[in-house]
Amino acid sequence: MSDSGGPDVTQELRLPWDDDPDDLYEHAPCGYLTTLPDGTIVKVNQTFLVWTGYTRAELVGHRRFRDLLGSGGQIYHETHYAPLLRMQDEVHEMAFEVVCADNTTLPTLVNSVLSRGPAKEPRAIRTTVFNATERRSYENELLHARRRAEESERRVQVLQEIVADLAAAPTEAEVAEAVVRAPEPAFGAASSSIYLVDVERDLIVAVSSTDPTTGNWDDMPRSSPRAVARVADRGDLHVVGSVAEAREHFPDLVDNMRKSGRNTVVLLPLTTGGSDERVGTETLGVLAFSFTGERKLGDNELRVVRLLGQQAGQALDRARLYDDARRREERTTFLGETTRTLDELHRLLPRARRLVDRVVPEIADWALLQLSIGGGIHEESGGPAPDLGLLEPAEQRAIRASVPVFPAAGDPLGCVVLPLTARGRVLGTLSMRMAPDRRGAAAERAFLIDLADRAGMALENARLYEQERETARTLQRSLLAADLPSGDSRFAVETHYQAAGQDLEVGGDWFDAFMINKDRLAIAVGDVVGRGIDAATTMGQLRSAIRALAGDGVGPARLLEALDRFVDRVETARMATVAYAEVDLVTGELVYACAGHLPPLFQAPVGIPEFLLQARSAPLGSRAGDLRRTEQRQPLPAGSRLLLYTDGLIERRTRPIDKGFEVLAREFARRRDAPLPGLTAALADLLVGRDHADDVCLLCLSLGSEERIERSLGADRMQIAQLRSELRGWLVAHGIEADCRDAVLLACSEAVANAIEHGYRDDPFGMIDVVGTVTADAVEVRVTDRGTWRGAVTDVARGRGLQLIRESMDQVLFDRTDGTTVIMRRSRGDL
Amino acid sequence: MTDQWVSFSRFGDAQLVSLTGEIDLANAGEIGKTIVDRLNDGGKVLIDLTTVSFLDSAGVRLLDALVGDLLMHGTRTRLVVGERGAARMTLQLCAFREDVLTTDLERAAAELK
Repeated sequence: MSDSGGPDVTQELRLPWDDDPDDLYEHAPCGYLTTLPDGTIVKVNQTFLVWTGYTRAELVGHRRFRDLLGSGGQIYHETHYAPLLRMQDEVHEMAFEVVCADNTTLPTLVNSVLSRGPAKEPRAIRTTVFNATERRSYENELLHARRRAEESERRVQVLQEIVADLAAAPTEAEVAEAVVRAPEPAFGAASSSIYLVDVERDLIVAVSSTDPTTGNWDDMPRSSPRAVARVADRGDLHVVGSVAEAREHFPDLVDNMRKSGRNTVVLLPLTTGGSDERVGTETLGVLAFSFTGERKLGDNELRVVRLLGQQAGQALDRARLYDDARRREERTTFLGETTRTLDELHRLLPRARRLVDRVVPEIADWALLQLSIGGGIHEESGGPAPDLGLLEPAEQRAIRASVPVFPAAGDPLGCVVLPLTARGRVLGTLSMRMAPDRRGAAAERAFLIDLADRAGMALENARLYEQERETARTLQRSLLAADLPSGDSRFAVETHYQAAGQDLEVGGDWFDAFMINKDRLAIAVGDVVGRGIDAATTMGQLRSAIRALAGDGVGPARLLEALDRFVDRVETARMATVAYAEVDLVTGELVYACAGHLPPLFQAPVGIPEFLLQARSAPLGSRAGDLRRTEQRQPLPAGSRLLLYTDGLIERRTRPIDKGFEVLAREFARRRDAPLPGLTAALADLLVGRDHADDVCLLCLSLGSEERIERSLGADRMQIAQLRSELRGWLVAHGIEADCRDAVLLACSEAVANAIEHGYRDDPFGMIDVVGTVTADAVEVRVTDRGTWRGAVTDVARGRGLQLIRESMDQVLFDRTDGTTVIMRRSRGDL
Repeated sequence: MTDQWVSFSRFGDAQLVSLTGEIDLANAGEIGKTIVDRLNDGGKVLIDLTTVSFLDSAGVRLLDALVGDLLMHGTRTRLVVGERGAARMTLQLCAFREDVLTTDLERAAAELK
């Protein structure tokens, strides 16, 4: 063995014992191989043979070194070892697994040297083989440890993400969503599901799953024998390692594990406290996740799983508190809003309707309000309605006992029935069907009872309001209904009272008309400050005071002075306004005065209407205003109309007041020929309409409806129009139909024209007398002149006039005893 | 001044005379003069009486003369008097020519087409 090229140093260090070089070769602590350049083994030592189990004869001359390698090793040998050796003449520490005789593998490290001949041609390869078994397993261990560390890191990372998600999840549902996604990335689970504990309902409810085809999704009572309920009860992690284990402990899991091909199930309680403080921890839910194949979880993993359970539990706890707080806040806001919006409506029916509309759909999908007050109220909203056969007994129960009826879980009634009470009296019931997650909870009950209290109070107040309003209306009606003078043909009075829009109390407007003596009529319209019963009562007192104070020789000014003294004693009447007038029915003279009241509107038989703006002074008992009471006289010719009214007729938010006066005057004039009955109502309708915010009171006096009208006019064609106008007013006042009226006006006009053109053809100062009378069935007009009559036939044009008189009247007579009198008569009906 | 009773305008290709208020012995003559002064010969004339609230025999005399004069000059004409009312009544009572009476402007204009 003198292959070594270098100096033989060992010769200098002779060992104290004789070491046989052959033995050293054969039993060296490493294997030796010598091969030809093609790898054929030509020499091998004993150590190598012992390690590999081959015999020398099997190897030498028969096998190449590469033949002893596994297939991967052979490729490595060809691609790395051989080229490297040829290039460098040596290779170091190449790792090969040598396939032993018994087919086991021996991890080795190989060093080789290529020796060359004189011509540098390869001659032999010398190889040492070191046993690397120990080293390999160490390496493996290192590798394994690194992988474990990486897995753990990944798990921690996944968990960190989940914890971050949990912290950001504000609601229970969102926490559940975050938790249920954890086990797959963290532990390689196949699927997971989350169950939450509902303490109020004593149930465990499945809320979410990554694979809803697995598992049983029915709600279960907390006392259920099912695995989830048991684990929730114990509050400790449970790993079901195999189907066999499941069969033993939790048979309910077996079917599902089989069906979905799961072999390992982890049931993790989600708890509020840390792992070491068992006392006081509460299980809020259970996370169940499962693996295909039996999966052993290491201690490390189990620690992390428990940690996840705690993190999730705390997040749930926080979300629950947050949910509760938010719901409480919502409820408080709802109650406040409800009280406020109910207060906006005063009357019972609208208020009842609004309550039902508030409740549906905000907190219930169906609601029914039944009240025994206000003539019975039934307001319903939403649907579908529950079984009436069940509802009615529940309502009776709630009313009798005056306690709410909360249905138990599974009760077919399915709605709460709240008795509404106020001042110790049950007004009725409010029944509601709430969304499922809203029923039953204790906090919810407290909320509903609060709602019922508020609703009861609001409805009772509306009932009281309604009652007072009704009383005030009745009082007002009875006062206004007092007898007004009628049956005197010299005048007619028409009145109208219109209450303010639905939601307002009665006002203090009033009207009155009475006879001071047989020829003197008094009329008044006034307005007391304020609303409701007080205003109605005051109005009654003031009205009586006027009747008592008016008298012969008193007159409007002195009457107002007396009223000023009256309001010093009746304080509620202070600042009331009054328009007061007296009419002498013989002379047709009006005397009027206004104490802070709007001016009367006067319509003469001819011309446009005018507001009577004289004799104005301050409201009754005014402390700052002008209390010098004066009165104004004004002739009222036959056919005149006088309108007294309160400010509700004129004042509208959408219209300036002067515009109101203008419209009133125009409309009053337009109805000059309209019959008196219905006139005041029509005016109120037109000027005020439906959206009136104030009471309206009108009184219209019509004068000159005497049986007989007598007029004298000069022989002046320009005066015919004036006559027609007065005659028209008189006919209207008698309710003569339009056709008849037009016919009489035409005939009369023609007769007067005849008198002017013929009778007084030569006498411009002649006078014509016209007398009209009306009876129950006919109108008669006489037109008299004292001129000369020459016979109409001489004038074709006048002939047409006579023809018109004959055509338009039923009877026409000519009396020529003293001048000419044309007597015309027409039946009041149709011709 | 007759402005308060009579006004002039056009309705399509016709001259329109609108009368309003009470027409009687007192104003008929003057109204007649105003109308005659304003109307041109030939073409079409519509006389609207729908807002006349009173018409006496003097008014009828005016309309009678006016229509006769217009027709004689080859001016086609119609009186618009409405279904009811004082003017219609008077015209009917004195048997005015029905063929020149119509109930509304549109129809009157159509009849003159």
